[in-house]
Amino acid sequence: MNDHARIEELLAARALGGLEPEEERALARERAAHGPACEECARLERAYAETAGLLALALEPVPVREGLEDEVVARALGRPAGPSPGPRVSRRSGLVRGLAALGTAAAFVAAGWFLRGLAAPGDGGGFTVVRFEGAAGGVLAVAFRPGEPGAYLLGADLPAPPEGKRYELWLIRDGRPRPGGCFAPVGGTVQMPVEGDIGAAELLAVTVEPAACPASPTAEPILTASLEAV
Amino acid sequence: MREPGDPELLVAVAAGDERAFRRLFRRYGPHAQALALRVTGAPFLAEEAVQEAFVAAWEGARTYDPSRGSVRSWLMGMVHNRAVDLVRREASQRRRADLVVVEPAEDPADRVVAALGARGEGERVRDALGALPPEQRRVIELMYFEGLSQSKVAERLSLPLGTVKSRTLLGMRRLREALAGMER
Repeated sequence: MNDHARIEELLAARALGGLEPEEERALARERAAHGPACEECARLERAYAETAGLLALALEPVPVREGLEDEVVARALGRPAGPSPGPRVSRRSGLVRGLAALGTAAAFVAAGWFLRGLAAPGDGGGFTVVRFEGAAGGVLAVAFRPGEPGAYLLGADLPAPPEGKRYELWLIRDGRPRPGGCFAPVGGTVQMPVEGDIGAAELLAVTVEPAACPASPTAEPILTASLEAV
Repeated sequence: MREPGDPELLVAVAAGDERAFRRLFRRYGPHAQALALRVTGAPFLAEEAVQEAFVAAWEGARTYDPSRGSVRSWLMGMVHNRAVDLVRREASQRRRADLVVVEPAEDPADRVVAALGARGEGERVRDALGALPPEQRRVIELMYFEGLSQSKVAERLSLPLGTVKSRTLLGMRRLREALAGMER
């Protein structure tokens, strides 16, 4: 093995994000042994970082959500975000207080759920929270401000759907379901903007669907939430 | 009017130019989103990774060192690191197949290779990936696009760790050669 073989092996793997912590430390030791001015080390690091960075181009670009640019800029510059399409939630928002009133706070805390905080502080939330009923396990609720566009689907302690399946949300009016978005819990947690106009729906339902997320439900609902009283 | 190059944009970002920052975001946001979504499989985690990476880019623009790599690789590297951190922290037991947004293929590498999109750079990268021996492509795919460490790849594929390491290195050497000259 030549002088840089081990370093090259570690750098190539690190560029891909493939090193365990002890291997990161091993790389740091190897680099330290070669010194900060080692040109070959620097050349290898740059070459593999470039190669890995190009791998991202193999994927089809995905349009970012409307409003994300403003949120990123606001967060970077440390100022309040501009208008955004949906409700914002934070640990101190009315959403969490509303969910706590439903007895779900312990579930969220236990699930280690975190919420990105972009709500205007002290606004009391003003959210309406409607909890789903059903036998799926866990907690699922939809949060929105009546009369305003946008809504969030929020869940904790939800079981993973069967292999090859996902949950799908339906917005139902006059008996006609429209897709509201597909999702699968991550560690039991769900946080998803609802697709479509929730204000036009009378009932929400969740079914278990194929991963391709069909345009019409293929199964009976496992969770439902009525919006008629809202 | 000529579009500013990446180095030019980053110099402006380092000087606190919000418009340059927005330009950088528009240029790479969709690629960042695609990468983060591919790694995390969850839109809200992907957005978190993208946000964190671009905020880090704003804060770190002044200390960016061009000798360590292009702006693009620097940015995509941050997106990737954050996506991997998030997915490893948030879902150590989740099943990858349940969270992929795009239609899962038999071999995740095939999905990447088969994606049809803008010609040029993307196509060249896809061709280079496709030209790799399947066993090398697979380990690289699992590490980069699914956020697995080499140890986890070895576990997933029931291979010795040493085999995974050598396939990684051989595959990356081939990719490096195939993609030479694409640096910005």
